[in-house]
Amino acid sequence: MNLEKKAFELRKKVLDMCVRAGTGHVTSSFSCVEILATLYEVMVPNDRLVISKGHCSPLVYAILADRGVIPQEDLDGFAKDKFGVHLQYNIPGVEITAGSLGIGLGIAAGMAYAKKLDRESGTIYCLLGDGECYEGSIWEAAMFAGHHELDNLVAIVDRNRLAVTDFTENIIRLEPFIDKWKSFGWWATEIDGHSTEYINMVLNWYIPFKKPKLIVADTIKGKGIPFMENVPLWHGIAPSGEDAVKAQKLFEDEL
Amino acid sequence: MKTMRDAFFDEVFKLDAMVVTADMGAPALDKFRGTDKYLNVGIAEQNMITVASGLALSGKKVFVYAIMPFATLRCFEVIKSTICAMNLPVTIVGVGAGFSYEDSGPTHHSTEDISVMRSLPNMTILSPSSSGMASLMASIPDTPTYVRLDRETLPEIQRGSSWDVRCPGEGLDYIIPAKTVIITTGNMVHTALKTGFGVMDIYKLKPLNERLLLKHFEGIERVVTLEEHILDGGLGSIIAEFMADNGILKPLKRIGVDKYYYDYGREHLQKLCRLDVESVTKTIQDWVQPPNM
Repeated sequence: MNLEKKAFELRKKVLDMCVRAGTGHVTSSFSCVEILATLYEVMVPNDRLVISKGHCSPLVYAILADRGVIPQEDLDGFAKDKFGVHLQYNIPGVEITAGSLGIGLGIAAGMAYAKKLDRESGTIYCLLGDGECYEGSIWEAAMFAGHHELDNLVAIVDRNRLAVTDFTENIIRLEPFIDKWKSFGWWATEIDGHSTEYINMVLNWYIPFKKPKLIVADTIKGKGIPFMENVPLWHGIAPSGEDAVKAQKLFEDEL
Repeated sequence: MKTMRDAFFDEVFKLDAMVVTADMGAPALDKFRGTDKYLNVGIAEQNMITVASGLALSGKKVFVYAIMPFATLRCFEVIKSTICAMNLPVTIVGVGAGFSYEDSGPTHHSTEDISVMRSLPNMTILSPSSSGMASLMASIPDTPTYVRLDRETLPEIQRGSSWDVRCPGEGLDYIIPAKTVIITTGNMVHTALKTGFGVMDIYKLKPLNERLLLKHFEGIERVVTLEEHILDGGLGSIIAEFMADNGILKPLKRIGVDKYYYDYGREHLQKLCRLDVESVTKTIQDWVQPPNM
């Protein structure tokens, strides 16, 4: 199956799960569908993925079920008796308990450092939200990874430009975002975060520097449901009633 | 005599474990430098906790180390969400219990750490009262552990035979049995021993050895708790909760710190909050036998 089709089906699944549960971060999940769908294809057994923006959990559960790591029928228990709104480390295929923003990069850096100590192959991937980059702990970890030249660490920022209540550039400017990372000793680049082709390409790029890699993935929060795209108030909310019908109609036909 | 931290880290060095420090040194740590056992993350305590968690999630046994208020309060929520939420084998080593950092003011005094750290469900809390005891507490953790070390060199205490075999597992040492007993921890054990009352040293504050404590309580008539720590949630609260939970109706007097102090010198600070030997003795005497008005 091609990744565009996969992304379409994952969105459909996530929407159904969240509508059924009456909760879940639909828009925050929809912005990183292409990122995660591609990343799971790229990853090899020695790699690990630390998901710091743990509120994209319905998407992760849908991917894990699609890959046979967890049973498909468990998805019906999202935000009910099976899985919570935030990722938990005791779920198969999930590396850390997430939900507390800003802690994932430090953990990923610790894992990457451990790999260096043990002379072990493999890459540690870390998915960050842009909103959590306000946390000082992100920059403590960024400084650490840059100093230790952790070239086995790849962080991807889902740069959907929205935090909880407003656009990041209205709250407190994150820009010039990529320059901040570069000045912390990272190799950094910016791509279209909804292009599986670009994501795949940049993940596979060999970088001839001893630096951690940072990918700013430009995305749209709520991508795929036009009336929810780029609307701050849709953060952490599942559509209901007419909104749910309208949204689900978008995924009725096969891609 | 070794300081507590040197006694502790000399033993840690013998273990297959790493020390992650937030740029906090100790003579005993010098031999770690330049080895794979040592990682200095800089003055960034939150990152110390997250990096240690990543190492622990990669199979490493980790000790993190910083001045007490920063190792605990500064990154409390990070400890909760990482080490505790994932039940990781990480030992948090804080140095500077109570007024240890006597000349550094309230930012460096650690008078809330017990209250705060004991609220974490799966956290073991160790509070040694001498360097020898601190060295016995240096072992590979299976679960989240917090060790509170005094900055001063606390001398060894005359104890019964084989207590060192029972430490830290047993959790407490009933040094001087009596009808009126001061239950205390860390540096205040030494103060209590000079008052003439009974003394019990609780060196594992969590989980409390309730079984042994219940046995000892049979012969106790009056209970005093003594701590260089705020009363809300500290050792006095631990004992009061233990008594309430077990239906023990005995007189209890809690002695501890009441507020922040901006003065200097540990002796002076202890006098100010009536934690010196003379004040503690008088407080207990007046409580046991109120002076005629």
